[in-house]
Amino acid sequence: MGLIKKLSVWIGYLVALLVAPLFFDSILAISILNQMTIAIIFALSYNMLLGQGGMLSFGHAVYFGLGGFLAVHALILIEHETVFFSITFIPAIGGIIGLLAAVFIGSFSTRKAGTVFAMISLGIGELVASSSLIFSDFFGGEAGISGDRTFGPLFFGFDFAQNIEIYYLSAVWVFIATIFMYLFTQTPAGRMANAVRENPERAEFIGYSARKVRFISFCASGLFAGIAGGLFALNYEFITEENLNAITSGRVLLMAYIGGLGYFIGPIIGAVILTLMNSLLSNYSELWMLYLGIMFLLTVMFLPKGFAGFIMMHQTAWVKGSLKQLAVPYLITGIPALLFSTACVAIIEMSASEEEVFHYLGMELNPHSIFTWVIAIIIVVASFYATRRSLLQLANAWESANEIPDSKDSES
Amino acid sequence: MLEVFIFATLNGLVTGLLLFMLASGLTLIFSMMGVLNFAHASFYMLGAYFAFSISQYIGFWAGLIFAPLIVGVLGALVERYGLRRVHKSGHVAELVFTFGLAFLIEEIIQFVWGRDTKNYQYPDLLDFPLFTLFGQEFSAYRGFMIAISIGIFICLYRVLTKSRIGIIIQAAITHPNTVANLGHNVPLVFMGVFGVGTALAGLAGVIAGPVLTTFPGMAAVLGSIVFVIVVIGGLGSLAGAFIASLLIGLLQSYAIASDVGMADFLNLIGVSFERSHPLNDLWTLTLPQVAPILPYLLLVLVLVFRPTGLLGKREE
Amino acid sequence: MSIILSLNNVRKNFGATEIIRGVSLDIKRGEKHAIIGPNGAGKSTLYHLISGRHNVTSGTIKFKDKEIQNKPPFEIARLGLARSFQVTNIFPRLNVFENIRCALLWSNDYRYSFWHLLGKQTELNEKAMHVLEQIGLKDKALYPSGELAYAQQRALELGIAVASDAELIMLDEPVAGMSHSEAENAVELIKRITQGKTLIMVEHDMNIVFDVADRISVLVYGELIATDEPKNIRANQKVQEAYLGEVATSA
Ligand SMILES: Nc1ncnc2c1ncn2[C@@H]1O[C@H](COP(=O)(O)OP(=O)(O)O)[C@@H](O)[C@H]1O
Ligand SMILES: [Mg+2]
Repeated sequence: MGLIKKLSVWIGYLVALLVAPLFFDSILAISILNQMTIAIIFALSYNMLLGQGGMLSFGHAVYFGLGGFLAVHALILIEHETVFFSITFIPAIGGIIGLLAAVFIGSFSTRKAGTVFAMISLGIGELVASSSLIFSDFFGGEAGISGDRTFGPLFFGFDFAQNIEIYYLSAVWVFIATIFMYLFTQTPAGRMANAVRENPERAEFIGYSARKVRFISFCASGLFAGIAGGLFALNYEFITEENLNAITSGRVLLMAYIGGLGYFIGPIIGAVILTLMNSLLSNYSELWMLYLGIMFLLTVMFLPKGFAGFIMMHQTAWVKGSLKQLAVPYLITGIPALLFSTACVAIIEMSASEEEVFHYLGMELNPHSIFTWVIAIIIVVASFYATRRSLLQLANAWESANEIPDSKDSES
Repeated sequence: MLEVFIFATLNGLVTGLLLFMLASGLTLIFSMMGVLNFAHASFYMLGAYFAFSISQYIGFWAGLIFAPLIVGVLGALVERYGLRRVHKSGHVAELVFTFGLAFLIEEIIQFVWGRDTKNYQYPDLLDFPLFTLFGQEFSAYRGFMIAISIGIFICLYRVLTKSRIGIIIQAAITHPNTVANLGHNVPLVFMGVFGVGTALAGLAGVIAGPVLTTFPGMAAVLGSIVFVIVVIGGLGSLAGAFIASLLIGLLQSYAIASDVGMADFLNLIGVSFERSHPLNDLWTLTLPQVAPILPYLLLVLVLVFRPTGLLGKREE
Repeated sequence: MSIILSLNNVRKNFGATEIIRGVSLDIKRGEKHAIIGPNGAGKSTLYHLISGRHNVTSGTIKFKDKEIQNKPPFEIARLGLARSFQVTNIFPRLNVFENIRCALLWSNDYRYSFWHLLGKQTELNEKAMHVLEQIGLKDKALYPSGELAYAQQRALELGIAVASDAELIMLDEPVAGMSHSEAENAVELIKRITQGKTLIMVEHDMNIVFDVADRISVLVYGELIATDEPKNIRANQKVQEAYLGEVATSA
C-alpha cells in the first residue's frame, strides 16, 4: 500500500471525526458521538490484548474504570484548586493510572495466555469491582462520584461547558490514540505480540520471552483503556462502579468481537455499531438488550471474523471488479431475511406489549386479535422459507464472483 | 459460639454441595469438549424458572422432575446447533459464544418472566424444622437439598465408574484425543454430556430457587463463583471441583457468620484510628463485608502460585 | 579448533524412565556434526535439553563456556544458538516475510522496542528478503505461512532457524518428508547458509549425513555409542550392529 493511500485513510478518518457533528448536530447526536469516541479507544485498546496478543480478558473494565475514577478525583482537585491545570489533560491522568494498574496486574497475570489468563482477568475484575463497593469513601459506593469539568484554567478560551466542546477535545484524543495504537502494531513489540499469539513457544526460541512480550502489550492496552476512562469522566462528569465491573468488561469484548478481532479497524466498526444500537434502539424498544444478545450470538456463529471480516471477504471480488454481480443475489436473500427479522421483532414486541393498539413501522396492529398473530406467523414462516431457498443462489453467485481463473480458490 | 459454628458449617455444606452440582457439570463439559461454559449458571437459572412455572400449575414435585429435563434438552440443542458450529472458529470463539449466551438467556428470562422476583416456594411437605439445636432450627428443606445433592453424586459416581458410557467419558477426560480413535460417536457423546451437564445445573436451580430466591440476577450471583471453583479445583478434575466447592461454600459461610473485622485485629495489636482517617474504610472492614470477594482472591492467588489449580494436571 | 558446545554427562528422566542416559559430547567451532540413531533414541529430546525446552535431570551443558542447562530458551537463543524443529513450528497466521523478520529482530538489536517502525527499517527488511531468496520463498513473501505446502513450510522452518545468523545452528530432521529433489535442494541450501558456522543436524538419510557431516555421533537408547569421522563410523562394529545394519538391509 502506498504512502499516499495510507495517508489518505488517516486524513479521511480525521475529517470524518471533525465533520461528524456538523451533520449530526442534535443534542442526542452529539452525546452519541461522544460515547463513540470513548468506545473507539476502549475497544481498540481491548483488541491490543485479544486480537493482537491473543489474551482473552474478562476484566478490561478495571483499567478503564480506575482511570475514570482517578480522572474524576482529578476534576474534584481542580475544582478545589488543590491543583491547577487544564482539564484537557485529564485523559492523560486516566492513562497513567490505567498503565500503573496494568503494570502491577500484568506483572503476574501475563505469564500464561489462554484459559489461565482469562480466569485471572475474571478474578481481578470481580475483585476490583467488589472492593470498589467496600471502599466507598474513594469510589462513592453504588452512587459513584462526580465532578465538574468547567473549573481550572481555560484552554485557548474554552471552558468545555458544552458537549460539543468536549466532542472536539475527544476527537483529538481519539485521533492521536488511534494513531499510536496503530503505530504500535508496526513496532517490534507489536509484531512480536502477534508472533507470541500464534506460537509462544517458537517465539522463545528466536530470543523473545513470551511473558515479557505479553506484558508490554498488556501495559499499552491498560494505558489506552485508562485514557478512554478519562474521556468518560470528562464527558459524563461522574463515574460509578458499573464502569469497572463485568458489565463494562463484557461490553468491550462484544464491541471488539462484533467489529472483528483480526483487523485493526474492526473494533472501531464494533464501537460505532454498538454505541448506535445502544443509544438508538434503547429509544425504540425496552427489549433492545434482547436484540443485542441475539445479534451477538448470530455474529459469533455466522460472522466469526466480525463485520470487518465480512467486509474484507469482498476484497477478491472487488479487485476482480465482480462485486456488482453480487448485488442482485444479495437483494434476493436480503429482502426476505429483512422481512423475517422484522416479523420476528413484531411478534416479540407484540407479546411484550400491554397496549390496546400496537404501533409498528407506521402500522397499527392489534395485539389482541388472533388475526394479527396469524398474519405475523405466516410472514415469519414464509420469509424464513424464502431466505433459506435463496441461500443456494447466493452461494453460487459468490463462487462465480470470487472465481480466480487458473488458481485454487483462496477464500477468506 | 459453638452453635454459630455448627450452623455455619451446615449452611456452608448446603451451599458447597449446591455449588458442586453446578461445578460437576461444568467440569464434565470442560473435560470432554475443552469449553468453559460461561452460560452454565444461566441453565441453573432456567431450571429455577421452569420449576417455578411448573409448580404454579402442577406442583413442586413435578417441577423437580421435568424442569431439569427441559433444561437438559435445551442444553443439548444449544450444543448441537450453536456450539458445534462455533467450534471450528476456535476456543476463544466458543468461550465468547457461551459468554453471549449467558447474556441472552438473562434477557430472555426477563422477557418471559419479567424483572421481578418470583415467589417460588418449597412444598409444605418440607416446611418444618428438621431439628432444633441450641434453640435454632434447621429447616427440613435444607436437609432435603443436602440429600438430593448427595444422591446425585452417588448416581454420577456410579455412572462414571460402572457404566460403559461412564468409562468412555473417563477415558475422554484423561486422554482427550483418544476417544474419537476408539470409534465412538463423539459428537453424540458431546451432545449428551452437554445435555446432562446442563440438566444437573437445572436441577441445582430447581432446588436452590426457593431458598436463594428466583430472580433474573441469580445466574450472575453464582456464575462466576462456579467458574472460580472449577479453576481452583483444577480444570477437568472432578475431585478438585468437589473439594473447591466445599471449601468455597464453607469459607463464605464462616466469613458471613463471623463477626470480626479489621478493627478487632487492630485493637488486638494495640493500634487504633480515628474515624476521619482517609483509609477509614480499610480500618473498619469486617469479614462479612469481604466474604463475597474471598473466592476471587483465592482464585487469583491459586492461579498465580499454582496455575493448574489444586488437583489439576492439564495446563491450558 | 575450540569447543563451542560441550555436554557433560547429561541425563533426562521423564517420570521413571531415563530417556537420555549420560551423554557427553564436544562440538568444535565451525564443524558440521550429524547425530544419527533409531527413532525414539532421544535425539529430539537431546535438542530440547540443549535449547532449553526441557530441563536436564543432571549434568551440565556449556555453550561458549557458559553453563546453559535449565535456562529458558530465549536466553540460550540470545547467546547465538538457533534451532529448527522436527515438527514444523512456525507462526501460521503471519505471512512468510513476517515469520522471517520476527526471527531477525532480536539478533538485530531491536529487543522489545516500541519506538522503531518496522516498515522503516530498510536494512532489516532487506536482510529478511535476502533470507527469503535463499530459501526460495521470495515470491511467497506475503502469503500466510500456515497455507504453504509442506515442503515450503519446512523451508520456512529452516529459514527461521538460520535467519538470526547464529553461531550454532541445530536442525532436527530438516528434510524429513520431502521428495528426493526437494531434499537435494534443501541440503544444498543448508550447506550454503551454514558456511562458516557450526551445524548440528539430526538426519536419517545416510547419503545426506555422509555428504554434509565432518563428524557423526550415534545415539542409541539415550546413550552415545560413538562419535567419530564418517569413515570411521562406517567401519565401527558397534554402530553397524546397532544401527547401520538395519538401514543397510532395509535400504
Ligand atoms: N515429554 C515427554 N514425556 C515423556 N516421554 C517423552 C517425552 N518426549 C519424548 N519422550 C520419549 O522419549 C523418547 C525419545 O524421543 P525423541 O527424543 O523424540 O526421539 P527421537 O527424536 O530420537 O526419535 C521416546 O520414547 C519418547 O516417547
Ligand atoms: Mg526426533
